[in-house]
Amino acid sequence: MLTLAVGAQQSLDSAYRTTGPEVVAAFETQRLVLQKSSAVINDGRTGLSYGVVISSDGYLLTKASEVAEAKALVATVDQTIYREVRVLAVDAEWDVALLKVAASDLLPVVFAPTSAVPQGSWVVANGATTRTSRRLLAGIVSAKIREIPAAGGAALGVIINGKSKVLEIDEVNPKSGAKEAGLEKGDVILEIEGKKVKKIQDIGELLKDRKAGSLVKLTYRRKGEAKTVEVRLAARGELFTEQMSRNDQMSGDFSPRRSGFPRVLQHDILGNRSVIGGPLLDLQGRCIGMNIARANRAESFAIPVEDLKEIAARLVAQVPK
Amino acid sequence: MKLPLILPMMAVLTWCGYAQEERLAVNDLKAPETLRDLEEIQKALESSLPKSRSATVCIEMEDGSGSGVIVSADGLVMSAAHVATGVKKKVTVVMEDGTKLKGETLGLVADKDAALIQITDKGVYPFVEIDRAQTTRLGDWVYALGHSGGFDKERGSVVRLGRLVRISDGTFQSDCMLIGGDSGGPLFDLKGNLIGIHSRVGGQLQVNMHVPMTEFLSNWEGMLKAEFIGEGPYAQKPVKGNGFIGLATEPGKKGGLKVTKVGSKSPAETAGIKVGDLIRICNGVALQSHEQLQEILKELSAGDELTLETERAGKPKTVTLKLGER
Repeated sequence: MLTLAVGAQQSLDSAYRTTGPEVVAAFETQRLVLQKSSAVINDGRTGLSYGVVISSDGYLLTKASEVAEAKALVATVDQTIYREVRVLAVDAEWDVALLKVAASDLLPVVFAPTSAVPQGSWVVANGATTRTSRRLLAGIVSAKIREIPAAGGAALGVIINGKSKVLEIDEVNPKSGAKEAGLEKGDVILEIEGKKVKKIQDIGELLKDRKAGSLVKLTYRRKGEAKTVEVRLAARGELFTEQMSRNDQMSGDFSPRRSGFPRVLQHDILGNRSVIGGPLLDLQGRCIGMNIARANRAESFAIPVEDLKEIAARLVAQVPK
Repeated sequence: MKLPLILPMMAVLTWCGYAQEERLAVNDLKAPETLRDLEEIQKALESSLPKSRSATVCIEMEDGSGSGVIVSADGLVMSAAHVATGVKKKVTVVMEDGTKLKGETLGLVADKDAALIQITDKGVYPFVEIDRAQTTRLGDWVYALGHSGGFDKERGSVVRLGRLVRISDGTFQSDCMLIGGDSGGPLFDLKGNLIGIHSRVGGQLQVNMHVPMTEFLSNWEGMLKAEFIGEGPYAQKPVKGNGFIGLATEPGKKGGLKVTKVGSKSPAETAGIKVGDLIRICNGVALQSHEQLQEILKELSAGDELTLETERAGKPKTVTLKLGER
């Protein structure tokens, strides 16, 4: 019920509220870590996301889908602005991109030994930023570590013509893996992962145990010619957003991709979608995870440190020497 | 101050112990300053959380879910009026581990968003203490629990930390972020004493409203007696006689009422009643005339249950239906 009480009698000055400067000041140690070891990722002057500094020579991690469409990636670490940012590798399942800037003396985050900390433990993440200084938001670990299945299941991102006797594509979702793979209206889907498909149900059956972000081999026919491509799957609920739920309406700026993660650490820090991608720190200033989605006004997700280290190592290993 | 009674008595005795405890030092700071202050908040929260969580429940109704918190060993639950929606309604109470229990709404305060629910399955349940002494002050650190967006066993109830940022007549405001599904859930002080029940959120993101314990305690006896107290906006008083069943009858030859018409999409049709069925008994009353059925309906309202003992081709059947709104 979106109503406000009237006749307030006692009110706490906003500076002393949980997100207020007087409270946030107690986390100066952690803020200094964000200052040195988090990156601000912009497209030109538009803020896109934050990033985690993982090496002194300029490797950064960020949320892949937030930077995917950027034309002029710019990264700021501490007070240094890097105007050449290369996207070296992407893990589509976890939605993590490995970026590289030309640096030699960055201070990488120190990873915490485990993400298995008690609920109620303090955590710190990037808040807003100025040109020169990072700000922070603080909160707590707020639920069990778990998988967030793809909302509505994993989907190709196409609408099939229901009147056609074959699996003829009627519409390709512009944000989908089908679009990226070059599928078009009129194409006829023949096989998925080498298995013949004839009905919409066949596709559903083949995709039902697959994860958002994973790739499937798809064979289609266009103008009599068959072609095979790899299509990235996405959460159906995020491709075809129906009317926003009441909870979404009250949640403000939530992340477009907020489901289909193999494991998340949940916390209660409420930033906006552009403060995603930076490190989640514990009270000792160690990196316990990487912020990956603001799900709604009460729930934010981070990739737990164990998984983050593994993703980082794998993406760095993919970079040609 | 005269304390309203609560069962079991143990709860009151335990409370006496709590009241003499000292406030957390960090609550008397304008803001935490050192790592130690932050750790004091964290330690208090971590140590009281398991008990608070074990008593926090999800309340499932036909069309949606909310939260609640158990406040006595025999399963009395505090929740919000807009979750209960009415008195003497059947609900399902889901414990943190997924155990589903039967429950029934008791009374509510419609203008304060307070309600009580009783778990009707017999058992000894985990419960929390109510902050009867009203030790909470503006700026105190508090935490919210609730089944945000509905029950999720893999996730569990969600905990959020914040401060008590506004105290006004009948309302606590905190910066613990709430969302649909949290309604009726508990707000605790850091020692795990219950201080509020989640009610609603404001247009701005940081605004979250809770019903203080005083609003419950001052209406306690009436709520225990399943009274509908106050007028809206959080629950609408049922209107007697606005219930609708959707059938026409004529007296049967050997008693009972024979169904002559069933309204399309009516509660009667949904319950599977067909033309020609004989209704012998309604809510325990043996029927002879249509007027008797009308008398029963006059005392009921939309949403109330009707139990009919029917007969079709000599075969008896018991039908339960929910009255529609006329």
